[in-house]
Amino acid sequence: MTERLANILISAFPDMLAAGFKITIPLTVLSFVFGMVLALLLAIVQVANVKVLKQISQVYIWFFRGTPLLVQLFIIYFGLPSVGIVLPAFPAAVIAFGMNVAAYNAEAIRAAILAVPVGQTEAAYLIGLTYPKLMIRIVLPQAFPIAFPSLFNNLISLLKDTSLASCITIVELMATAKQIVGRTYESLALYIEAAIIYLIFSTVLTWVQGFLEKRLGWGTKDVKPKRRSGLKAGI
Amino acid sequence: MLEVRQLYKSFGSEGVLRGIDFKVNKGEVVAVLGPSGSGKTTLLRCISFLERAQQGELIFGDLRHDMSHIGKRMIRQFRMQMGFVFQNFNLFRNMTALRNVMEGLTAARKMPRREAEEIAREMLKKVGMEDRADYYPDQLSGGQQQRVAIARAMATNPKIILFDEPTSALDPELTGEVLDVMKKLAEEGTTMVVVTHEIGFAREVADRVVFMEDGLIVEEAGAEEFFRNPKKERTVQFLRRVLTGSEAVGQDTSAG
Repeated sequence: MTERLANILISAFPDMLAAGFKITIPLTVLSFVFGMVLALLLAIVQVANVKVLKQISQVYIWFFRGTPLLVQLFIIYFGLPSVGIVLPAFPAAVIAFGMNVAAYNAEAIRAAILAVPVGQTEAAYLIGLTYPKLMIRIVLPQAFPIAFPSLFNNLISLLKDTSLASCITIVELMATAKQIVGRTYESLALYIEAAIIYLIFSTVLTWVQGFLEKRLGWGTKDVKPKRRSGLKAGI
Repeated sequence: MLEVRQLYKSFGSEGVLRGIDFKVNKGEVVAVLGPSGSGKTTLLRCISFLERAQQGELIFGDLRHDMSHIGKRMIRQFRMQMGFVFQNFNLFRNMTALRNVMEGLTAARKMPRREAEEIAREMLKKVGMEDRADYYPDQLSGGQQQRVAIARAMATNPKIILFDEPTSALDPELTGEVLDVMKKLAEEGTTMVVVTHEIGFAREVADRVVFMEDGLIVEEAGAEEFFRNPKKERTVQFLRRVLTGSEAVGQDTSAG
């Protein structure tokens, strides 16, 4: 490796990392939070069999899973201004990514809700619980650990997908790499460097997932929170 | 106190209940016997509206309603005064035994936590589970789970408790502890309907026995009368089969 290339890579590293922390990660987190709220609504209107809303939810999921994320992003950022809706790039990206990941999360949540044994629903109704209480107190607390691995998968995918934001003028990690390539023409080395930074981020996320699953007993079949003290005290 | 009139229920074209008239008096323990597929479980599930009947009328306490055309709110009114014990316990797996028993009081009846906890602990004590209050269902044996489920059904002070084959999912050596709890409840004057295969329990604890087959009540009598002097051919057959079966098991264990 020449000294010039080494210098380019070394000086590019903090720039890319900074773009990652300042743009890529906030974009991922905000989009995912928005996507979770939306996903919960989409999933619940389906399992609760709410007329019309259920069909809307199905069409929504069909559309957002069936079309490319880049196209969705372009529609929101470049398309909507022609009907008078002008969004700055960052909010447009949050909306596009959030709406997209919501479709995938909704399916994960819906499947998890259906995996909670129906007997508990019957028992809850028989002791007098209403549907919202049944959902909040019994079903969702058990569905969440089941959905957790899929939701986290979607989060990691989203982290990588935010690189598409570089196409709508957002200078996140990928766009930063592109700019440095434009100045130095070292495309192979610099894009590999960008890949490594993405890899670092997603590896950390994988660790976080493993930690949470182990610590809270999430993502395993065992849905109860770990409470050893209670167990010992009982004996 | 609870009365069902002309109850019809079919799944598709198959008639599961074909005109049931069924009555339970206050303080009475009624055992519902019958071969598999006779409709006993469906009868309980219709009474508690887990299955919607095609036709029938339910009279319960001061409530009275058509069983096929009934709204959510009315169903909830009926259910608020019933307890139900499932074959598979159906405890809430995200809650401890104590929280399971409290849930009907706090979440459904808006009782203050402290008061609910006091009642729940009392109920757990009644079923001999007070020292397992902080255990999750997965940490309990089947028999223990069923005892907690019985405590949950009692906690809301229902007028009647419906038991749907409460010991069928249990290992044979665990049925005794559950039956003992139920016996205790019966002695305290709890009104109970028990769908069961436990002939011994029916004989010993029930006041009245209802024998069902093919969606009809074939015979109905006081427990003693029912076992000593069954009237219908079909009942005699059924009793002969289940009784020789259990005696044979008894001989096996004594020999071994």
